Amino acid sequence: MDVIRLKDTTKTYRIGEVETRALDGVSIEFGAGEFTALVGPSGSGKTTMLQLIGCLDKPSSGKVFIHGEDVGDLNANKRAELRSEQIGFIFQFFALIPVLNAYENVELPLLLAGVPSTERRERVTSLLEAVGLADRMQHRPNQMSGGQQQRVAIARALAPHPLMVLADEPTANLDTANGEQAMQLMQKLNQETGTAFIFATHDPRVVKYARRVVQLRDGQVVEDHAAANGAGA
Amino acid sequence: MAFGKLWVLALRDLERNRRRSLLALLAVGLGLALLILLNGFVAGIIDGSLQNTIRLRTSHVQVRAESYPDVKVSLQWKDLLSDLDTLLARVKAIPEIKAAAPVLWAGAVLSTKNDSMGLQIFGIDVDSDVNAPIREAMVAGAYLSADDRSGILLGKRLAESMGIAVDQSVSVTLVDADGNPQEALFTVRGLFSTGIVSYDDSAVLMPLAKAQSFTHTDGHASAVLIFLDDKENADAVAAQLKAPGLSVQTWEELNRLFLQLMQTAMGFYVILDVIVMLIVAVIIANTLLMSVFERFREIGILAALGMKARQIMQMFLYESILLGLAGSVVGMVLGALAVWYLSTSGLYMGEDVASVGGSAYALSATVYARFVPSQFVTLSLWTVAITVLTSLYPAWFAARQEPVEALRAL
Repeated sequence: MDVIRLKDTTKTYRIGEVETRALDGVSIEFGAGEFTALVGPSGSGKTTMLQLIGCLDKPSSGKVFIHGEDVGDLNANKRAELRSEQIGFIFQFFALIPVLNAYENVELPLLLAGVPSTERRERVTSLLEAVGLADRMQHRPNQMSGGQQQRVAIARALAPHPLMVLADEPTANLDTANGEQAMQLMQKLNQETGTAFIFATHDPRVVKYARRVVQLRDGQVVEDHAAANGAGA
Repeated sequence: MAFGKLWVLALRDLERNRRRSLLALLAVGLGLALLILLNGFVAGIIDGSLQNTIRLRTSHVQVRAESYPDVKVSLQWKDLLSDLDTLLARVKAIPEIKAAAPVLWAGAVLSTKNDSMGLQIFGIDVDSDVNAPIREAMVAGAYLSADDRSGILLGKRLAESMGIAVDQSVSVTLVDADGNPQEALFTVRGLFSTGIVSYDDSAVLMPLAKAQSFTHTDGHASAVLIFLDDKENADAVAAQLKAPGLSVQTWEELNRLFLQLMQTAMGFYVILDVIVMLIVAVIIANTLLMSVFERFREIGILAALGMKARQIMQMFLYESILLGLAGSVVGMVLGALAVWYLSTSGLYMGEDVASVGGSAYALSATVYARFVPSQFVTLSLWTVAITVLTSLYPAWFAARQEPVEALRAL
């Protein structure tokens, strides 16, 4: 049963006179609860694929289906709504709002999705506890380490109980220990909540946790297999 | 999205770069303060000039013979008021009247051994309250008494420029009501300084009785000057005094040209106001644009999280509203302080500046600002409005970014 489906999607960018084809006629499906890594060298199209799946962008041609619904039909506002309810993002640079503390950062997507206040409080507190930051709820990002900020970002991504969490190089700015910790956390949450996690990465620490690895080169999928372990080392 | 949260975000964003927010706030505040001060200053000049003219030339209500010419001085009996006692009795019977007195105007030449000057003679009722401003403005010598047959008062500036001292004798020449030249020697009893340069430079005061006999206009006067307790009653009082053969004019009618000129001048000051507001607008727009560019990636994140374009725009607009309001408060306080100071201490502009415009503008050497509450409110509202309007572009610019573009920016 596929939750996300890309059908023949192509994305081209024009920079000046040069046209680059970031994704070239890719068709692929992702199921519920997956823990999948998109790998490939820079320029292979993995970030672009993530952006299309996450409805941050529209394909130049082809279609993207989420739960069977063609997202190409949605206008910008509807896509924003979809994102706020169904899609969590984790970025390389943590991307927390600096003027909000940890609690408020995790709460933000819930505010945008219109979740009522009691439920908001419940979810935010339990998520911050789940990522081990219950004692840092009032701290702002500049009062936290990189590892802690990324954990807040993970909590934020999961706050709206989304269909999927999309992570673009989530461990790139973390040291080994913090990177492992982040991955283990995400694995645990994936198993507990059934939320799909899709990573774009070239970090082997991330790949070894994945249960499915999709390899991209020059905008095309060259390999797509289930990984034997997915349990880390 | 909870309405309150966007305001919280806006407020926190302003705190993010305190120095920049404070500078922008100060720009708004100083701009508004400057506008308030300028407008108060101009209002003060106009009001001051008007008060001066009323006090020393036109009074609140003026009664003349119907045929008295508008811009010249006439001594012909047909142009003058006669039957003064009856007229004055009628006038003083009206309760709104504070003081009333007849005055005789005549053009004359004053000469010393070395110099001569064309001036205007005012034959005044020296005891009347109408002339209290002169009594209060005496700076040398003594005031006149009603039966003085040879004494005059001069402006101190005039006396100094002609080298005339108190108790000195001067010669006054004029053409009387019959068309004959008359000359007589007068003694300068005292000098006055009203502060109104055009008056101080051109007025010679003598008792009415002497002026009448000198000009062969006994029993007559050029006009009756009337001062009211409240100048708003002028029209009502004028209506009561109307009679055939008489022209009764209010201070508004007598100063019509001046008031119209002032209206036009105010029109030019609006241009000044606009320029100041434009400068403020540019500073605000710049501050906000800088803020938007710095937060490009953050805008992308907010969009990725599901914030809609409209909400992003709202957030930036709220920032500028907060800046505008805070800046306006600062501006109002600063402006009020400046106007209060100028309205009590005044600004010494110097007599050369004050004599610009001659007798058309009765300017004092020191001008006082005037506090006009309605201007305060109007200018403050405009300041907030300008602040918000100029932020529309940066806010819209922030909101129209595609999340992907914004996230790509590093």
